[in-house]
Formats: sequence, structure tokens, C-alpha cells
Amino acid sequence: MDVLDQIGAVREGKMSRRAFTRSLAAAGVGMATVPFAGRKAMAAPEDQATYFTWGGYDIPELFGEYQAKHGELPNFSIFGASEEALTKMRGGFVVDVSHPCNQAVPRWAASGLFQSVDTSRLAHFGDIIPELTQLDGNVDGDNLWMVPFDWGQTSITYRTDLVEIEGEESWDLLWDERYAGRLGSLGSGADAWWVGAIKAGVDFDNIDTPEAFEAIAAVMREQRPHIRVYTDDTTTLEQALASGEMVAAMTWNSSATLLAAEGIPVRFAQPKEGALTWVCGLMVHKDAPNVDRAYDVIDSLLSVDTGKFMINDYGYGHSNAKSFDEFDEETLVGLGLSKNPAEILEAGHFQKPQTQEFESKMNGLFEQIKAGF
Amino acid sequence: MLQRSETLRGFFLLSPTLVVMTVGIVVPFAILITMSLWTAMGFDFDTTLTTANYETALEQPIYGALMHRSLVISGWATVATVLLSYPMAYYVAFHVHKNKMMWIVLMTLPFWTSYLLRVFAWKVVLGYEGVINSGLLWAGFIDAPLEFLLYSQQAVVITLAHSWVAFAILPIYVSLEKIDRSLLEAATDLGDGPMARFFRITLPLSMPGVIAASFLIFIPTTGDYITPALLGGPDGMMIGNLIQLQFGPVNNWPMGATLAIGLMLYISAIGLVFLALTKVFKERMA
Repeated sequence: MDVLDQIGAVREGKMSRRAFTRSLAAAGVGMATVPFAGRKAMAAPEDQATYFTWGGYDIPELFGEYQAKHGELPNFSIFGASEEALTKMRGGFVVDVSHPCNQAVPRWAASGLFQSVDTSRLAHFGDIIPELTQLDGNVDGDNLWMVPFDWGQTSITYRTDLVEIEGEESWDLLWDERYAGRLGSLGSGADAWWVGAIKAGVDFDNIDTPEAFEAIAAVMREQRPHIRVYTDDTTTLEQALASGEMVAAMTWNSSATLLAAEGIPVRFAQPKEGALTWVCGLMVHKDAPNVDRAYDVIDSLLSVDTGKFMINDYGYGHSNAKSFDEFDEETLVGLGLSKNPAEILEAGHFQKPQTQEFESKMNGLFEQIKAGF
Repeated sequence: MLQRSETLRGFFLLSPTLVVMTVGIVVPFAILITMSLWTAMGFDFDTTLTTANYETALEQPIYGALMHRSLVISGWATVATVLLSYPMAYYVAFHVHKNKMMWIVLMTLPFWTSYLLRVFAWKVVLGYEGVINSGLLWAGFIDAPLEFLLYSQQAVVITLAHSWVAFAILPIYVSLEKIDRSLLEAATDLGDGPMARFFRITLPLSMPGVIAASFLIFIPTTGDYITPALLGGPDGMMIGNLIQLQFGPVNNWPMGATLAIGLMLYISAIGLVFLALTKVFKERMA
């Protein structure tokens, strides 16, 4: 249909619904095909490995080695929470490498969607801090499921100018009535529920008992009216902290590091009850179409250059022991890290892998609490 | 013989539609219904048919409450959208004589960006340091930013109303455009003022458009989950979020299917009311 026809039709007041739909459809098809049209002209992205990861890990700084070898970045697909990623892959989405955290590994492996890692194909494997590979559930028999990559803590980032701390730093801050409506929390149970367990004094060994569920649910319900927003989008929390909309929020290391770099007076708390610690890493899909490049993605992420960036810019721990040699002790302590990561991991509460039943029950209950029930 | 070939031709003409309908609607719907009768077992399903999910959905207060909240929020969003779009549609239909196309295109402008971006834009507008708060602070109307603007049910209603406005303008515009102008002239000749003309002729005759618009907005907004997830805060969660959660982190697809069907039943019931209303207006006009 000619555009002039259409304009004419409308001028006469005769723009029919059908004609309108048709132009919308044409515009829609046009828009939808734009990415394909552009991509064909460049290199062929289908040759690159696909890395399924959290937002913020899709940046060139982490893929220096990969880019040097293949001239391009890998393809990225982004998820907001790792359970969402698993759901998508169970629904048939095939990637090369994905990025879960250690407490999910046994369940992810049990889904049958992943292949164990052939460590001989990784150039940097020998440099990995051994404690990180030997995590609960990560190794089963001769199979290594996840190559450790980044590790850190879930704690509280708070505005030092807006919050008054009496005595030691404590998780109580996120339950403090004085700051009701100005506190934020990560939305996913994988963080918040476990923090609830620390607050409720539940031992992580017993976190799956009915009593523990009850005790944690009680503290989460108590906290809920104080929380302005639960979100998995860390940018939301960071912006709210920067503007003073929130005075404290549950975050990972990176939020505090990023905000401090912007000159905002924040501190990443070391709560007296202990922070929640985590290790995340890389798993290879069993049907990975680009296995060779999948290993290149992993190797690139394990490289010292990547480690330097992760430590300096995100404040996360890196799995390559050599990355820490690039920093002096003082800088590392300032970031809440250490040359001996085992120290940090032991000082905090380390998540233990749970069954799928636990995950479903915990997420279901936590969602109800968030919704006010 | 002729009859038979016509029947055949009829089938032939129908078959692509039939295939699309079957593959695109009937089969997925059947899967959804079947799945709602299963039970989640970790990663697997217990495929024994049971109505346990429906019982849980009826028993647990959260499901009913969120369903109700969704209906209320989309109800308000529908009212706001129609009130917002009626004057615009009216203006184009009655007062614009040149370049109607340009006006219509301008009205569909919100659709030129992705839905997600529009929602994000509202987050910026309504935010703590957003356009509205900064404006009010600057003008001296308030001393501290208004916190209820964002992460609230109001935020969801405002965003939905803006995002769906084009869906309301077009049907209302079409119904206004169809009104026979001589009726209005006759009314003027008989002494009706502009208000009386509007309420006695224009509004009643454009009601089918208004109802169609309400229908077009109410249905999709009830199940929306992006807007409440980004702007609703803890109190703005809607049933769509709960369905998404069942299929995601909670990993209870059968429960998600059950809730989806529940929502569909709710909306169908309301749809019937809308249809009945349309019929009443059509009969009146005839």
C-alpha cells in the first residue's frame, strides 16, 4: 500500500482500522528486522560463543583475551536472577556458557543441561584458588561442574552521612524503624532469605527445617513494612542510595565500590553477625554449539587482566590467585577483600546448596511476604 | 455438485486459519489446562490429574487479593486512559480539518519506543529526584520529595494510562468520526447549546468506541507485569507478577498455569459485561 494513498485516505477522514493496522504491521516488521540487517554487514556473530550472564558482566573489559583471539566479543544474553536463567534454559534456550552461583550448582547439574568441565582445556585453571574449586556440591566424583570466577559478599551499603551507627555494624540496620521507608533490599530469595536466616540466628545447616522457615518468615515479615523496594536491579538500589532516597540497602560489593568511586559517602558494612558470602562461576551447556569458544570465554574471564578489573572496579574477589598480586594489601582491605580469600569466606556465612523443593518453597513463601501476606 | 465444490472451497479457504488457530491457540491452551491439573515435583511434574492447584488458589488469600488488586488497578488505568484520550480524539475528529494523518501519528508517538523504555521513562519522571519532584521543589510547593509518587499503585495507574493511550484514542476517534454531522446541525437548529449537543448526541453515539477502548485497555493491563515490577514497589504487585514468579523462581509451572487460567476466567466474565454493554448501546442507537 502506497504511503500517499494512506495520507490521502486519512485526509478524507477514511483511515480505516485495517489500513492503520497494516501500517503498524509494516512498521513493526521493519523495526524487527533492523538488527538482522545491521548484523549481517558486520562480522558473523553466530560464530561467537554465547555467554548467559548477569547484567554488568557483558562488558569488553572482561574479554580482553577473547577479543584478542577472535577479534570480537562473545554474544551476550542477560538474566536478572539465576533461577530465571535456569528456567529459560530448561525451556530450550541453548547457550555456551552460563553464570550461576555455587549454592545452585548441584541443582543446575541435576537438571541434566550441563557438561562437566574439561579443566585441561583451560590455560588459567592452575592459577585458581583451590578452596574455590572444592566447594560444596561443585565437584562430584571426577566431575567439576562450575569453574569459579567471582566471589564476594552480600551485605549492607549505607550512607555514612545519613545513618547513625550505634556500636558495631549489624544487620539490624535493615530492620531499623528509624529508617522505615528508606531501606532497600535485593529482591531474590537467594540473597534476602539467607540474610533473614542470619538475622533470625538460623544455622545454615538447618535452613531447610520447618522451624527455620517459620523463624525466617517471621523476621522477613517484620522487615517488609520498612522496605521501600525489593529489586534484583542493583542500579535501582545504587541510584536510590546516591540520591538519598534510601539510606541503606542490601547489596553486593560492587554497589558500594561503584558509589564510593562516584564520591558518594557510603560504606559496605561488615555486620557483626557476619555477611553472606558467595562464589559464582561458569558452567558449560551440554549442547553448547561452540564448545571451543566456550572454553575461550571461561579462560578470558579467569585471566589476570579480568581479575584486576573485577577487583578494582567492582570490588569483587576473583578466582585467579595471581590477580591479587596486582594490588597491595591496603587496597584489598579497603575493598573488603584479602589475599587470602578463605579468610573472608570463613568469616562470613557461606551458602549451602539446597534441594529444588527448598528453593520452590522458599521462593514461594518469600514472594508472599513481599506481597504483604 | 456446485454445492459440494463450494463447501470444499470453503474448507480450503478456512484451512490456513484453522491451522493457525489450532497451532497458535487451541494447542497451547490445551497444554495450559492440562498443566494446571498437574503437580510440580522439583524439576518434574506429577502428571496425575488433580484439582489441587485450583483449591490452593481459592484457599490462599494472596491469590484472590492480588487478582482483586489487579482488577482495581487496571480499572483505574482504564478510566484514566479513556478520560485522557477522549478529548484528544474529539479534537481531531471535530476540529482538525487538515493533516489528520499527522495528528493521528502524533498520538501514536508513545508506541514508537518500546514498552519497557516508556515504563523506565516514568520511573525517571516520578522518581525521588525526578521531573515532578524537582519541579515542585523548585517552585517551592514542597520541602521534601514526595515519596508516594514512585513505588506505589498510583505510579502503576499513571504509567499504564500513558502507555496504552493510543489504544483508546483510535477506537474513540473512529466512533466520533462516524457520527453524522447533520444530527448536530439539527440539534443546533432546534436550540441545543454545545453542552446539550455533546451529552445528547456526541457522547451516546461514541459510546461503542469508548466501550471498545475500555475493553482494549482493561484486558492487557490486568495481566501486565513489567509496570508493577518496576514501579509498583511492594504494594503494587499484580497477578501477572505472581504468574511470572510461578514460572520463574518458584518453579511451580502448574500453579502458574492455574493462575493464568483463573485470570482468563475473570477477564472473560468482565468481557461479557462489556459485550452486553455494547449490545445495549447498539440497540439504543438503532
